[in-house]
Amino acid sequence: MYLQETHDKVFENNKSWATEQVAKDPDFFKKLAAGQNPEYLWIGCSDSRIPAEQITGLQPGDAFVHRNIANLVCNTDLNVMSVIEYAVKHLKVKHIVVCGHYGCGGVKAAMTPKDLGLMNPWLRNIRDVYRLHEKELDAIADEEARYERLVELNVYEQCRNVVKTAALQQSYAENGFPVIHGWVFNFRDGLLKDLNVDFETILKDIQKIYNLTA
Amino acid sequence: MSPENTFHYALSSNNAWAGYKAHQNPHFFPKLAGGQAPEILWIGCSDSRCPETTILGMQPGDVFVHRNIANIVSPTDINTTAVIEYAVAHLKVKHIVLCGHSACGGAAGALSDGRIGGVLDTWLLPLKTVRYNHAEELDAITDEKERVIRIAQLNVEAGIKVLMNNPTIREAIAERGLEVHGVFFDIGCGRIKELGCGTAHKSSSTISGDHVVRGKHGQLVFGQDGEAEIAAAQ
Repeated sequence: MYLQETHDKVFENNKSWATEQVAKDPDFFKKLAAGQNPEYLWIGCSDSRIPAEQITGLQPGDAFVHRNIANLVCNTDLNVMSVIEYAVKHLKVKHIVVCGHYGCGGVKAAMTPKDLGLMNPWLRNIRDVYRLHEKELDAIADEEARYERLVELNVYEQCRNVVKTAALQQSYAENGFPVIHGWVFNFRDGLLKDLNVDFETILKDIQKIYNLTA
Repeated sequence: MSPENTFHYALSSNNAWAGYKAHQNPHFFPKLAGGQAPEILWIGCSDSRCPETTILGMQPGDVFVHRNIANIVSPTDINTTAVIEYAVAHLKVKHIVLCGHSACGGAAGALSDGRIGGVLDTWLLPLKTVRYNHAEELDAITDEKERVIRIAQLNVEAGIKVLMNNPTIREAIAERGLEVHGVFFDIGCGRIKELGCGTAHKSSSTISGDHVVRGKHGQLVFGQDGEAEIAAAQ
């Protein structure tokens, strides 16, 4: 049966992968089992085309990963807030990467004038990003280029949302890390683009109103 | 490694990876840009030692992913719900795989009596419930590591129940035979095993424990219509 075959293939692949790792390094899994000490927290999109570890060459153990629709960081979402808190306060990651991607289905769906039921509350956050940057986005005549810019601005705003958390602000004041990066993945060439988010300036701006260090 | 070094490493490594992939198959990225048609939705832990696509031996385009603390599936969590909705109703994945793992920090946290602080205690509440519901069984396990493994497995079973009650998933099971699987990743050996919960009540995998399939590592192959599929390397 077709469904059974695709399912079995996954288990076959996993066994080959595990066997290969042991062939390369007999202690590979023993070391992994001893604990994790990742330097990265990766907040990315659920999109199947962006497996964080493969596109960055990071190994198991290197990056703590949260992936949701359109890489959003919402302050009332206990799911992503738990991830940030655990990564910053307990694992003490040095970098937090928010990684978006051009051609994001979530961003496109959010800008479609349509009732998407259960997805409405989640996708609303992207419409809010548009509203924050309405003038700039409206000025872009080409639709494709406008979407690409919205993807970048969405990453930028989610970086700001990470900076608004108590965990980030307190850890940075105390340790000088983690620092925030905004990246965008491009399917056309497989390359990551660094948006060069000015972390220090954002932090200063944000703390005027959102200071949670006390 | 200083923070700056790791950061540059990841970016330069991406550069090398993109070059390698494009060299291997010049159509790889243009086809990827054409869209996604994953067959699997993976719900797993954020733990850095559980990179789903890597441990499944799969490729970009194969697995739609949600990863959170302790792979908890909470019925009212809008983050997970939006992922499920998109994957099942729009992408029409064929399998949902909920994966727990050994040495899970969240599972260990739920077994401790102290307060972790911040929002984590609230997030981990479903795991605490699992702990209290299975107190007798868990308390009887003397080895601490084994107890963490057992509660993580019970957590997968609890998550599967939530998934099986999700209305979108129920419809997809009835209408087109969507499969829901509970599995467990043993970090100590790198292997995944089925827990026998979900749409298949007992283990349906035909692969036995020591069976090794050579040369079957997943490769992304593109058909005429641009659809991506996994094919075995010859």
